[in-house]
Amino acid sequence: MTDNAKKPTPVADDLSRPFWDGAKAGRLVIQRCASCGYYNHPPRPFCDACLGRELSFAPVSGRGRIHTFTVMHQRDVVGYEDEAPFANIVVELAEQPMLLMVANVPAADRASVQIGASVEVYFEDRGDAVIPQFRIV
Amino acid sequence: MWEGRGKTAIAGIGYSEITRRPQKPLGLLAADACRAAIDDAGLAPEQVDGLATYPESPFAGAGNRDGEDVVSVAFILNHLALAPDLRWYAQIETGMIASPLIEAVNALIAGACEYVLIWRALHRPAPRAAGASVTAASRGAPRASGDAQFLAPYGCASIVQTHALAWQRYMHRYGATRDALAALALNSRRNANLNPRAFFHREPMTRDDYFNSRWIAEPLCLFDCDVPVDGCVAMIVTTADRARDLRNPPAFIAGYGQNTARRRTLLYYTLDDYMACGGSLARKLWSSAGLGPREMDAAQLYDGFNPSTLYWLEAAGFCAEGEGASFVQDGRIALDGELPVNTFGGSLSEGRMHGMGHIAEAVRQVTGAAGPRQIPGAAAVCAIDGSPMLRGSAIVVTRDP
Repeated sequence: MTDNAKKPTPVADDLSRPFWDGAKAGRLVIQRCASCGYYNHPPRPFCDACLGRELSFAPVSGRGRIHTFTVMHQRDVVGYEDEAPFANIVVELAEQPMLLMVANVPAADRASVQIGASVEVYFEDRGDAVIPQFRIV
Repeated sequence: MWEGRGKTAIAGIGYSEITRRPQKPLGLLAADACRAAIDDAGLAPEQVDGLATYPESPFAGAGNRDGEDVVSVAFILNHLALAPDLRWYAQIETGMIASPLIEAVNALIAGACEYVLIWRALHRPAPRAAGASVTAASRGAPRASGDAQFLAPYGCASIVQTHALAWQRYMHRYGATRDALAALALNSRRNANLNPRAFFHREPMTRDDYFNSRWIAEPLCLFDCDVPVDGCVAMIVTTADRARDLRNPPAFIAGYGQNTARRRTLLYYTLDDYMACGGSLARKLWSSAGLGPREMDAAQLYDGFNPSTLYWLEAAGFCAEGEGASFVQDGRIALDGELPVNTFGGSLSEGRMHGMGHIAEAVRQVTGAAGPRQIPGAAAVCAIDGSPMLRGSAIVVTRDP
């Protein structure tokens, strides 16, 4: 049974606040460099590709593919003690190679998880925060 | 070829007890290992005038109390009676345990000191410490900050999950199966059964044992993970000339390499970097030593998680990309095979000494001290630590300078 109240919630900091505010508004936004166009995730004080300082958050399509996945069986993951085994996917966003995000997977999608499957973002309300998740399309 | 080739040597090795139930704090285990290494080399403690370590905890959030969770240069400096006026030290935070060894080699060649003591002490943290950067809140859900804010809310902040994600991708890309990991785990266990220091010295493992073991993070099972232990391994490095006058035959350091490649993603480490990052280390390792993978009589390849060994076989050129899974079959990596791998049992079966066990075994093999595991006539052995898509450092040791 899922008990979201026990799961860790993200602490937004100065760099990540627009990302989490975007999620709260139902939009996936990723930090992007104005000089070279590179998407940085997690957000950085400078661009990982060119060290540029002109960074802002740009909306992305919310579409991508499953880069890889795993099923965790250990019962010592904070907030997930009663949920193991549970699945994680890594999503490669459509906007840039190796632009990766971790997510869970809706129970209904568990059986169809495979590398390369197309996914789209949805938003899960965790009370204190709203977090992006992905489902198979 | 590197001009420092064969100019330094490892002259002594010392082990503390390696155990899941330590009877003393980690700092005292480290002192045991350091004293044993100095004794093994036949030195007096006051001759040791250099110190180097890689003190990091096994994962972030595992604690950093000096002498309990980690053993730093400062701890050894303050607690062991060595040279009254130590000349040199280095505490390295990147690469892994071969990195301070590499620093020591450079310092010795530069004449900065004469006998360097190197150690790696590792503590087995409490399981719940795995929730890195997650803190309980006075009310409501725990809080995840820093990079963990993008991982812990999804329950995906541990190293074993990262490795499971990579191995899943490897299997998909090259059509490999768990048979490859079983072959590696069984090989390590057979070798550990010949190694009295190994945690699993007295426990054989069958193929069924491997496949019946519980999942940790699918597709990795219990026997794909190293054994967390408390313990320390130490060694003495000196110049080749000085080493010749000491008690043991020297294990000459022929060359070294470190991973200097740029990773393509910084939040996770991904399989996609293993050939580029591992290859950046291997090029330097082989070119400095003037030797290649074909000249190695054995390979000690890091196995904090089992797939890393497979990745190194490919990235270091023992076989081609994507061929590791077939390479490890048919006895090729056994003690009497074409390329004996992890002849001491690896971290999987000796215990998690973060690559120090690999270096110690390389030394034993080229100095004829590997007992029932001895590869006849072993003249050149490499020890490579780290996971190739993340970090790594390595040396080649040789019987002759």
